[in-house]
Amino acid sequence: MSALNNKLWRTIIKTKGQFIAVVAVVAMGIAVYIGMTTAYQNLNTSKEKFYRDRNFADYYFHVVKAPQQVTKQIATIPGVAGVTGRIQKDVALINDFNQRATARLTSYTLPVKYEINSLQLLTGRFFAAEGVAAQPGEQTRTGDIEVLVDPQYAEGNRLDYGDTVSIVAEGRVVPLTVVGTATGPEFIYLMKDAGTLLPDPTTFGIIMLSRERAQEILNLKGQINQVLVTLVPGADAKRVADQVEEVLEPYGNLAGYPRKQQLSNAMLEAELDGLRASSRYMPAIFLGIAAAIQFVILSRMVRAQRLQIGIMKALGYRSRQVILHYTGYAVLVALCGAILGTLLGLVLSSFMSQAYALYFNLPASIGAVNTQAIIYGFVLSIGISSLAGLTACRSVVKINPAESMHPELPKGGAKTMVEGWSWLWRRLDTAWKMSIRSAARNRGRFGITLVGIVFAVGMLVVSLFTLDAVDYMINKHFYQNQRYDYLVRFTAPVKESELLNIERIEGVQKAEPLLEVPVRINYNGKSEDDAVTGLNPGTSLKKLADPRERPLEVPGEGLLISQRTANKLGAGVGDMVEVETLLGIGPSRLSTIKIVGISNQLVGGGCFVSLQQANVLLQERQLVSGVMLKVAPALSAGLEAELEEMTAVSSVLSRQKELDNFNKNLEASIYSISILVLFALLLGFAIVYNSSVISFAERQRELASLRVLGFSIQEVSGILLKENLLQSVLGVVLGLPFGYLMVKGYIGALSTDLYSLPVIIYPTTYVYAALGSFFFIIVAHLFAVRGIKQLQLVEVLKNKD
Amino acid sequence: MDVLMKLDRVTKTYHMGEVTVNALRETSLDVFQGEILVILGPSGSGKSTLLNIMGGMDLPTTGEMFFLGENLSRAGDKRLTGYRRNEIGFVFQFYNLIPDLTGRENVDLAADLVDEPLKVQEVLAEVGLAERMEHFPSQMSGGEQQRVSIARAAVKNPRLLLCDEPTGALDYQTGKLILALLVKINRERGSTVVIVTHNTPIGDMAHRVVRMRDGTIVEIRENAAPLPPERIEW
Repeated sequence: MSALNNKLWRTIIKTKGQFIAVVAVVAMGIAVYIGMTTAYQNLNTSKEKFYRDRNFADYYFHVVKAPQQVTKQIATIPGVAGVTGRIQKDVALINDFNQRATARLTSYTLPVKYEINSLQLLTGRFFAAEGVAAQPGEQTRTGDIEVLVDPQYAEGNRLDYGDTVSIVAEGRVVPLTVVGTATGPEFIYLMKDAGTLLPDPTTFGIIMLSRERAQEILNLKGQINQVLVTLVPGADAKRVADQVEEVLEPYGNLAGYPRKQQLSNAMLEAELDGLRASSRYMPAIFLGIAAAIQFVILSRMVRAQRLQIGIMKALGYRSRQVILHYTGYAVLVALCGAILGTLLGLVLSSFMSQAYALYFNLPASIGAVNTQAIIYGFVLSIGISSLAGLTACRSVVKINPAESMHPELPKGGAKTMVEGWSWLWRRLDTAWKMSIRSAARNRGRFGITLVGIVFAVGMLVVSLFTLDAVDYMINKHFYQNQRYDYLVRFTAPVKESELLNIERIEGVQKAEPLLEVPVRINYNGKSEDDAVTGLNPGTSLKKLADPRERPLEVPGEGLLISQRTANKLGAGVGDMVEVETLLGIGPSRLSTIKIVGISNQLVGGGCFVSLQQANVLLQERQLVSGVMLKVAPALSAGLEAELEEMTAVSSVLSRQKELDNFNKNLEASIYSISILVLFALLLGFAIVYNSSVISFAERQRELASLRVLGFSIQEVSGILLKENLLQSVLGVVLGLPFGYLMVKGYIGALSTDLYSLPVIIYPTTYVYAALGSFFFIIVAHLFAVRGIKQLQLVEVLKNKD
Repeated sequence: MDVLMKLDRVTKTYHMGEVTVNALRETSLDVFQGEILVILGPSGSGKSTLLNIMGGMDLPTTGEMFFLGENLSRAGDKRLTGYRRNEIGFVFQFYNLIPDLTGRENVDLAADLVDEPLKVQEVLAEVGLAERMEHFPSQMSGGEQQRVSIARAAVKNPRLLLCDEPTGALDYQTGKLILALLVKINRERGSTVVIVTHNTPIGDMAHRVVRMRDGTIVEIRENAAPLPPERIEW
């Protein structure tokens, strides 16, 4: 077999351009597979481990306040494995840059390991349960309240051991001493609420402290406001939850939700779902196309080497040996591709893991090498390639040694369908006719190349679409829907008249009040938690739209329900729903209200009513919980400073800062988009290059005779280009709408309750995708036909053997 | 007679790996306007190399080649392409038609190259293919394919028609018909025809016969009375 091996080796050297191109496609497929699968495994494993180690809760219950002993009663409910009662409350935080941020105070009972959602210490030490005496060499002072902060907040605000942060709680400024950083299973993806676009560690963080100190700070001695429950395996979650809510009923149930609705978990799961989906379909595209290209290469090779195969058989080689010889080419492609792809995949996975480490607080390292994925990668690559190889070489069996020595019958030109359209056919020049007939004659290759181009173009659209979606969201969210410069929220609702204090701050051009009320909406036996925002009809700083993006006005009467909630409840315009308020102050109120419209917000969702109606829901008058401000840009710094001084202000949302944060996060995705674009271009290049190389090789003689006839190099190249363009233009034309379908499928796989990317593709994206496609088409063409200058007229036209 | 082409001490040396092949050694030859010239010789005698140089497909290693007084022996690809395009018609042993074009379209392809081509239909009729011109090469016999090939060469109305073993792949009868066609074109259009062959009897139809061996011309013989192809036997 060594002579055959030499032959194989020389064949590869001779077709090295094609060999490298297919290896590249296989390598990209394997790289994407290993990169994404490894990232998925790592992320998932460290999530699972973290959840298990830190006793992640199965169910969450929020109440106004309840005595801490209530947990003992809940623990007796059948199906409950563990109960933790704690305090969690958002408070305003004053940081070093004198900017208003939100801190989520979360309480723990030491030692934390018995707690549900317990903590993992990252740096420093645990807080003391009580005020502690100073140790020699330590900065702690008697009476200090020691806290841990989440690592991203610590980094974003440059906090170190012994630093002090101040919060505003119950109207008082309380200094806290940072003794370390820690994280918990519910803080993996840190966003304030579903209405936030992205995590921003400078404006939102977690502060962890002992339960006693939290109760002290918040005037909740002996009380808790959250109950976390773990369930015994196999317990009926819904039934247990109902029983827990019954126990908590007297203390003002605000919310009860299972693990899968916990924000951090939901975001993490959404990411994992997307990753899993991509890790399946992306490699499938690459490996499928690589297999198709190999099929084309080998089929053509077997045809071109018919005589050699006949000689081998005449010498006594069995068909099986010859088939294995040619399939060896595919196996070598697979091996090289898998090795290269593995290396690339490891780089990719470490790149992805780094990106995930940036967004997800997972203490367990996420840099493991996924050996299983690598093995699967090799098996997949070699399996698919061998299959393509074996299929392509089937015809070897039919080659008869004696017949193979005769020249093959001339390839038959034939009339094509297009010729039926004589008005078109008559207008075509001879070169176009050649191209169309050649395409029709090589239907299989034409089809495979076409499909490949369609996928490459589709991938380009998908990659570029991300930018459109983001741009659209920014535009829609920051410039069209959200017209205010600042959104100020108060620690508790205040009378509307008190807004005067803010309105008179220098620089405020317009101030419009709002009242946000967390609610549970009941309809037809189903219920959903949502938030209702009361706005004045005619409000100008916030614009609403319906699902078809037509503008909506705030109604005087009735509810604009969020599309998500409407879908979940199965309620529509005209239906009456029951709204139950879940505000932490005062008892919950029930009222019935008619749906007058459906609102669709890109971010956060939410229902809307008039400000007056929101007050009616609470059975209050003229309350507001926040205010939207339009401010003269030059005076915004002064305004921010004044707002900092107001202890009743819980948070200040600056549009500019949100936008900056958004753009900063966008930079990270530019990398992944660039990689995708690069992969799509390479894929397209490999496909077109291969088909052009084969077409060129098969037609050398034909092309040489054209040169002898007096065609210039450019004219001959032009003929090949026309043939190339025929499939390419068709590929692009089909690829653009296919890209749209791919985007839809991709979004469908990603869509979560929390956010939905709009399927928005700007016309310019199609233009860019088309330009990108023609770029790879032309480059591949030029690469493939660069041998045209060396076309040996004399040699080629010599006798046919 | 006016000289159409002048070859002056032309040599051609090929380097094939470590072997140097002297395909042509200091060969000189004048080709006259309107004549039929047959170049005879066994394989390896250099006749095809000579034809390739005459046709602008190859350049001499040393020596000069003039076409109507213009020295083409150092011409670039662009000039040579133009030369092949406007002055030369080539007929190959294996026809080399474009398989995806019908007979007529193959001729169209050549006609499109020059400013004043002959009428495609007329040329095809002249070669006797009026009926079969819409067929593809794969649907034609060898003789028909060679007729298309001649029509393709002739439609450009070239000054010089170069034929490389034009009957080599054809049977006896068909071969004679093809030769007759070449004589007809020479007579009616005035094209100079150069035929390269190892088939000695074909020399009888020429005005002059050049005999080659080992890369040089060993004899140039004038035929006082060329025979019509129909009367040649081989």
